[in-house]
Amino acid sequence: MLEARGLRKSFGALEATRDVSLALPEGARHAVVGPNGSGKTTLFNLLTGELRPDEGKVLLNGRDITDLPPNARARAGLTRSFQKNNLFLDLTARENLAIALAIGERAGTVFWRRFERMPGLLARAEALGERLRLADALDAPVRTLPYGTQRQLEVGLALAIEPKVLLLDEPTAGMSAEETRAMTALIAELPREIAVLVIEHDMEVVFEIAERVTVLDYGSILAEGTPQEVRSTEAVRRRYLGERAP
Amino acid sequence: MIGGEEFRRHCIAAAMLAAALLALALSGYAGRDRLAEIAILAIFAMSLDVLVGFTGLVSLGHALFFGLGAYALAAFTTMLKLAPSLAIPLAVFAAGLAAFLVGILAIRVKGVFFIMITLAFGQMGWAYFQRSRGFGGIGGISGVGQLDLDAIGLSLANPADMALIAIVSAALVYLALARVTASPFGRMLVAIHQNESRARALGLPVQRYKLAAFTLAGAAAGFAGVLAAERTSFVSPDLLVWTVSGEVLIMVIVGGLGTLVGPALGAAIWVLLRDNLSGLTPYWMLAMGLFFVAAVLFADEGLYGLASRIPWTRRRRPGNA
Amino acid sequence: MDIADLATQALNGLQFAMLLFLLAVGLSVVFGLMNFVNLAHGTLYMVGAFVGFSVATRTGSYWAALAAGPIAAALLGAAFYFLLLKRMQAAGPMKQVLVTFGLIFVGIDSVRWIWGEDSQSILAPTVFGESAQFLGLVYPSYRLFIIALGLAVALLLHLGLERTRLGAVVRAGVDDPVTASSLGINVDLAFFGVFCLGCALAGLGGVVAAPVLQVYPGMDVAILIPTLIVVVVGGPGRLSGAFWGALLIGMADTFGKVLIPDFSSFMIYAVMALVLLLRPSGLLAARHGA
Repeated sequence: MLEARGLRKSFGALEATRDVSLALPEGARHAVVGPNGSGKTTLFNLLTGELRPDEGKVLLNGRDITDLPPNARARAGLTRSFQKNNLFLDLTARENLAIALAIGERAGTVFWRRFERMPGLLARAEALGERLRLADALDAPVRTLPYGTQRQLEVGLALAIEPKVLLLDEPTAGMSAEETRAMTALIAELPREIAVLVIEHDMEVVFEIAERVTVLDYGSILAEGTPQEVRSTEAVRRRYLGERAP
Repeated sequence: MIGGEEFRRHCIAAAMLAAALLALALSGYAGRDRLAEIAILAIFAMSLDVLVGFTGLVSLGHALFFGLGAYALAAFTTMLKLAPSLAIPLAVFAAGLAAFLVGILAIRVKGVFFIMITLAFGQMGWAYFQRSRGFGGIGGISGVGQLDLDAIGLSLANPADMALIAIVSAALVYLALARVTASPFGRMLVAIHQNESRARALGLPVQRYKLAAFTLAGAAAGFAGVLAAERTSFVSPDLLVWTVSGEVLIMVIVGGLGTLVGPALGAAIWVLLRDNLSGLTPYWMLAMGLFFVAAVLFADEGLYGLASRIPWTRRRRPGNA
Repeated sequence: MDIADLATQALNGLQFAMLLFLLAVGLSVVFGLMNFVNLAHGTLYMVGAFVGFSVATRTGSYWAALAAGPIAAALLGAAFYFLLLKRMQAAGPMKQVLVTFGLIFVGIDSVRWIWGEDSQSILAPTVFGESAQFLGLVYPSYRLFIIALGLAVALLLHLGLERTRLGAVVRAGVDDPVTASSLGINVDLAFFGVFCLGCALAGLGGVVAAPVLQVYPGMDVAILIPTLIVVVVGGPGRLSGAFWGALLIGMADTFGKVLIPDFSSFMIYAVMALVLLLRPSGLLAARHGA
């Protein structure tokens, strides 16, 4: 579904991404891991269009989207959640979800009808809120919500537009054990047809949700395979897993 | 079901309308002229609120479209000899078209850059009309055709009638803009203001919406300009000078960003302040500047925030703070 | 237009460009550093001119005026920095810029209050009284002085940026403010210094321009718009952007007035519009995305 071929990106003298290729079939559960600075977020930015690659291509269902801006890619079915919460902070969670739904449905061209009267919009926002386990936090301004709840919403917004390919950038970043469990459950409940690519630091989460893992190091791919394969690869053990304090 | 916030705004708007009509009934010649001016500036301020308050695009050149609307009407009636009933909608369209064209260029940049560009374009318009012999130069154009309202027994030459038309127009513009900003389109603008990058990442073609907001604001400002031209039958480059863009921005900030009624209130307050202060000192620009600085620094929710504290404008909704 | 006319206009364009450069460079570098534009920058230019006028009238010396203008502007800028700007750091660049817009109003009336409504002028020093003659051309030597001064300032600034520690800090600050501040250098102080230097240059521009342009309340906005266009066209943050942008706009404006008088005021806006269409971040932008 989503394919990256030979992506290269440099910032001046720094080669952030070196010849990275990736294939994400329908229904994939794929994780990208690697130490800080290994180019994971840069890779995401290249896939979603926030950055243009110096070389290489990005394809969505065979279609070359390398030159498309982020909003066009989202419309084609590819979207992401962000590492740092990227929400509509002064609005309520309900409004956040409703807006995301409205964007997904291209309802923005309607200028004479009341937003609240758009058929089913608020109901669907409510339902989505429940799925995200946000039901009791829907009407507070997002700014006031606890971090973990914001993080749920962060993923929820991306889900609202019913993507075919979903990129999650460190969804459990900064979360407590319980919050991590909730997020992991949420990811596990994602529709099977969606292809999911996750950047993660928490290896437990990776082993729980990922069917394939790509390990990045200094911008290039160190190893790729199932979690078991990757875990037992010598290069990976030495370079990455061995460095992590358990 | 109308949310608590919106109900509050409609209450305040209704109160303002009532106050305006009452004032109209009670006032003399000068008062009526003032009321017309306030109503026209209220429309101008509300148009800018759509751009600044809702979409978050701070423009320092909005007077350009105000002036263009006025000049277009003047040109259509005095040079092309069109009937005002035709010239008026055409003039509004012209202002909107100009906003569209300027907008295409201006929205390519953001933030401080955008402020600079709009300031530059505003001055460009002023400089053009100042020097243009075809448009009367500094002297402007007089004898702008007034709409014939004999059919409903009104005459725009009569200050009381003009004020009534202006007030009613302001009310209608408020209702229209309130509708648009409460619509999904309006929500998209708010989303852009709140978090442009997320809106884009979710698929919103942000640039198109910004351009639409810019065009709408320009057309509405053009309508205010048309009314201004109708009121005095006269247009001059003074309508487009940079201070006018600054003044309308103050009205919006002081009134309360993103509320529509706030800026309308701001317009009223500004006119009243100006009239009472300019008698006190020839250096009213100094006072205005200080007022502007204070407004930027301290006006959080502006006059609207103050008005919302009045109990009878409240309506409780479950979960509403 | 014959060669002599062409050369004369080119020199006029160059002279105007140097004036614009003096104003634009401060604005541009500060914009690149702090993402902040002082819209009252023209006010400093105006104050420089008026203070210069007062000093010149009182002392009879143009050179005293040339010194006084920049100093007055720098002091005013410093006062603004400490009294307002520093306290508004949390408010964000947009509010800061709007505050400076309000200060334009304050500036104009303050000048009116102190110096009155009338247009003033400063006499060029007698050493430049004669017109220069070279290459078969006759051209006012004072204007040549302006050109020379502008080029000298550009050169000094260039050397300052490239060769001094402050310059390195400034360049780092424009490229990556976060990293720069983590380098332990007193970046705030450096920024303050740059800001004051920019103000001083604006004041210098005011005095320098006084013998050839009108000195009046309102000259601030008249010069502000072309200056802003220079910053937009040249791209914020870079000395070279301010320089080449000023050159482009100075020439465009001068030749525009000569070649198409009816639309003369449009030339610089046309250039700005073209740049916005083709390269919105400016012709020589230092930063990607403002």
